Amino acid sequence: MEAEEVSVIFNGQVALDRVSFKLSSPFFTVVMGPNGAGKTTLLRAIMGMVRPSSGRINIYGIDPARSPGKVLQIAGYVPQVINVNLHVPITVEEVVAMGVLAKVGPPRILTPRVRSRVEETLEMVGLRGMGRKPFRELSGGQRQRALIARALIRKPRILLLDEPFSMLDFDIKCEIAELLNRLHREMGVDILMVAHEISPCIAFQPTIILLNKRVYAFGKAEDVLRIDILRKAYPGATELPAGVIIGEDHG
Amino acid sequence: MAELLALAYLLAALSGGIVGSISLPIVMSRSVMFALTLLHSILGGAILGVYLNTVLRLGLPIPLIAALTAVGFSILTAELVEKGMSEDVATALSVATATTITIVFSYLASHVSSTAISTAWGYVMGVSAIATEWDITMAAIALIIVAPTIHLTMKEFRYIAFDEEGARSLGLNVRFYRYLFYSLVSAASAVLSSTIGVLVTHVVLAVPGALALRIGRGHTVVAYSSSLAVILLGYFLARVLGVPPSGGVGVVSVSVIIGMLMYERG
Repeated sequence: MEAEEVSVIFNGQVALDRVSFKLSSPFFTVVMGPNGAGKTTLLRAIMGMVRPSSGRINIYGIDPARSPGKVLQIAGYVPQVINVNLHVPITVEEVVAMGVLAKVGPPRILTPRVRSRVEETLEMVGLRGMGRKPFRELSGGQRQRALIARALIRKPRILLLDEPFSMLDFDIKCEIAELLNRLHREMGVDILMVAHEISPCIAFQPTIILLNKRVYAFGKAEDVLRIDILRKAYPGATELPAGVIIGEDHG
Repeated sequence: MAELLALAYLLAALSGGIVGSISLPIVMSRSVMFALTLLHSILGGAILGVYLNTVLRLGLPIPLIAALTAVGFSILTAELVEKGMSEDVATALSVATATTITIVFSYLASHVSSTAISTAWGYVMGVSAIATEWDITMAAIALIIVAPTIHLTMKEFRYIAFDEEGARSLGLNVRFYRYLFYSLVSAASAVLSSTIGVLVTHVVLAVPGALALRIGRGHTVVAYSSSLAVILLGYFLARVLGVPPSGGVGVVSVSVIIGMLMYERG
């Protein structure tokens, strides 16, 4: 995957400023940065949901700005759980099944074959037997797993995750990171996630893109997570004698 | 007399079916504000129709003008949302425009005809105490179009309401479904407004859906049965109290909402 001088401008406001990076598959990558850094915009540009004002993106030979449909066929997107409307009466099975049913036309019937595929995928993410449960009755970590299952059931080449650790306890964050690492290792799925916090997955030695409109650093943790670089990328950081507090974690 | 009564209750039952089919997706997708906008548009369209008929003597069918105005405003709202405007802001813009039309043309119509405002007011209150075969036909056509389409696409409406961005990422044509949904709500609202009245349509559009979501099981059955019960009981109550049907339906709807709140509090 390659981003070459990608800029995105919304109503005169720069969301991304000449962002460039190159990732070779297989990759496990985390995009870090403060609020408003353009992390979600970058994900949306990779998905073809936002058209760059200039520059280009290449994902497995596809230009998402020109062929967004092709990207959606190979990419699984996991949105932030906080963006999901929990008032909607929907079961876990229905959520996950939509990953495959979206490819066919209405009435999108849950056939026994689809049900068994859903069950297999739920087992893969540790939610076996939970298909009939209403989505809103799941815990935060389980909701995240269900959304990952929905993306996974499409057998994607890459998973794009928007803040999969937000609103979770630290041990649950580590469980989600472990799950993503297992999918990466065992199924060969490339991972590109946006996160405020790197510690849950630091053990898996991810590649880090430090972003605040532009790329401040790119590489392994020891090269990127240096105080002098973080100070530049996080202008609102709080300095303490022991180090720098770079921000919050959406709760 | 018995035949008139039967027609009125048949119309009430058909209206109940229409409300039962659209109320749940309206509440689920948090589109109650949008539905209310439509009713403002319908009222604006009706008063515009009255004005045009009075001044230009065009003899236009007022429900048609009202429905076209509603569809126009729903397309405007859908397009503004697609262009990135928040649904609340797009809705507010449409409400403001529709209300301005209502006020301006009410004022102008009152200057040229002493009966214009009372004709428009009939639209607000509902005229279904004397249901005609034309009303029944319109309501039946609306029910035949709206209910099956809603059920055929309910999965998509539910999924978009659950997670719009996720739905887009899965390749669902969110824009198409948004237009379809808004058009169905427009058609249903236009027919309901010309039968049970604009004001009471405001109330009944949301009540069955809200009740179904609160109860938490058998959503569709609850939405349909509560909708039928509210409208039929409302009609009966209106006859007993000697008020327009919209008055009876309003009283029953408010009672259901209060009952729901009391049930939730324990």
